Amino acid sequence: MTDHRTGTQEEWQTEREKLLAEEKKLTHRADELTKMRQELPWVEVEKDYRFETTDGTKSLAELFDGRSQLLIYHFMFGPPYEAGCIACSSITDTLAPNVPHLAAKDTKLMLVSRAPLDKLQAYRERMGWEIDWASAGGTDFNLDIGFTSTEEQLKPFLEGEIPPVVEQMAKASGTDPKGYVTEVPGLSAYTLSDGAIYRTYVTTARGLEPTMAYYFLLDRTARGRDERAGEPHWLRRHDEYEVD
Amino acid sequence: MPTHTVAIQEEWEMQRDELIAEEKELTRRGDRLTTKRLDLPWVPIEKEYSFETADGTKSLAELFDGRSQLLVYHFMFGPTYEAGCPTCSSMADGMDGLLPHLHARDLTLAFISTAESPKLQAYKERMGWSIPWASSANSDFSFDMGASFTAEQVREQLPPEDQLPPIAPHNAKASGTDITSYVAEIPATTAFVLEDDTVYRTYATNFRGVEFLMPYYPILDRAPKGRDEGAAFQTWIRRHDEYA
Repeated sequence: MTDHRTGTQEEWQTEREKLLAEEKKLTHRADELTKMRQELPWVEVEKDYRFETTDGTKSLAELFDGRSQLLIYHFMFGPPYEAGCIACSSITDTLAPNVPHLAAKDTKLMLVSRAPLDKLQAYRERMGWEIDWASAGGTDFNLDIGFTSTEEQLKPFLEGEIPPVVEQMAKASGTDPKGYVTEVPGLSAYTLSDGAIYRTYVTTARGLEPTMAYYFLLDRTARGRDERAGEPHWLRRHDEYEVD
Repeated sequence: MPTHTVAIQEEWEMQRDELIAEEKELTRRGDRLTTKRLDLPWVPIEKEYSFETADGTKSLAELFDGRSQLLVYHFMFGPTYEAGCPTCSSMADGMDGLLPHLHARDLTLAFISTAESPKLQAYKERMGWSIPWASSANSDFSFDMGASFTAEQVREQLPPEDQLPPIAPHNAKASGTDITSYVAEIPATTAFVLEDDTVYRTYATNFRGVEFLMPYYPILDRAPKGRDEGAAFQTWIRRHDEYA
């Protein structure tokens, strides 16, 4: 017998109905927040950024690729990294297969990082992702939006005790904690209207969980995410798990 | 100038900060519901079900494939369908890349449908997915789990054909079947756990409850136009090899 509370189908159904009502409220609240997000003012991007892509140097407007909406995932892959961040890699496992579906909704989804283009493309090939990836290494694009930190901003963090998970993630990307945390994961959204580009939305940290689909599957299993503070993180690159 | 409100960065940040507070509250509310989900009683599955798979006939316990947790997506592919439901197919695209991460958390993900196994395996090969797919054609499993309905149940429980949303006739046609046969399958997921040789059902959900398996929705929810689909929801979705 299991230690977990068991019940008959009818008992489960009764409790499930109560939870379902709350789940529906959560869904509707999320719908409301989407409306609030759409009501945010737009901010014009006036600076002329240049990105390196597999099709040559491009402006931000050219990254839209003929669509009116652009979503950029700021993938943590800084110049000193030897491989992309593990968590960002797991996020890209979710993002890449959704690219064709988003394209059908007038939306271009792509990755931007500061490492040189050839490093990004080699890693993309290794991981087998079909998603465009541009280098912002030659611009202040990431810095201006707050997804690259300056040495001054990092000083208090680096002078404190570095959490073991940061050490773990830095090592897995072939860099040190300072090199690793210079990059910040984030998502930014843009729209192209009458030739001008506007930034419409930005998020980071747990705001990125919608792009970590595995968490939402785990949240519906018997054991949930089953993560404990202080333990090494369980995530690996999809080709680096020891047992499958 | 766009019709949308335009602001300077500082104004945007003030409004964004208010929204972030709401977004964080939503995330925590989601966490609280996950805790409640984990507290649901487990229901032992006492009926013997058998499934046809690419590796022969299997029991429900065998579908766990050596892991202790199983999440079943009831993929809409009924006996009369000629191809899998396009919406379920778009969901499968996103799930396929998650397998290594889910396996690392002791979770097997599997599709179960009521069509015959050879049809399912051929479609899986066409779409290039690696998620195991079992046929419940020879058991009552999908009916008992509330994912499939008899023609009589469809007549009694579902709205008349002319009151169904446009996606029903649209996807019925795209799946090569009639509307009644199409809606006899519903999008649903069921979670199981295996402990001491007993399989327990821990959680089940359907319809908008399976949006956690559609990452393009939360991604679009962060783009300026949102889902932008109205009553014709999901009719823009094609199989990934069928976009023009």
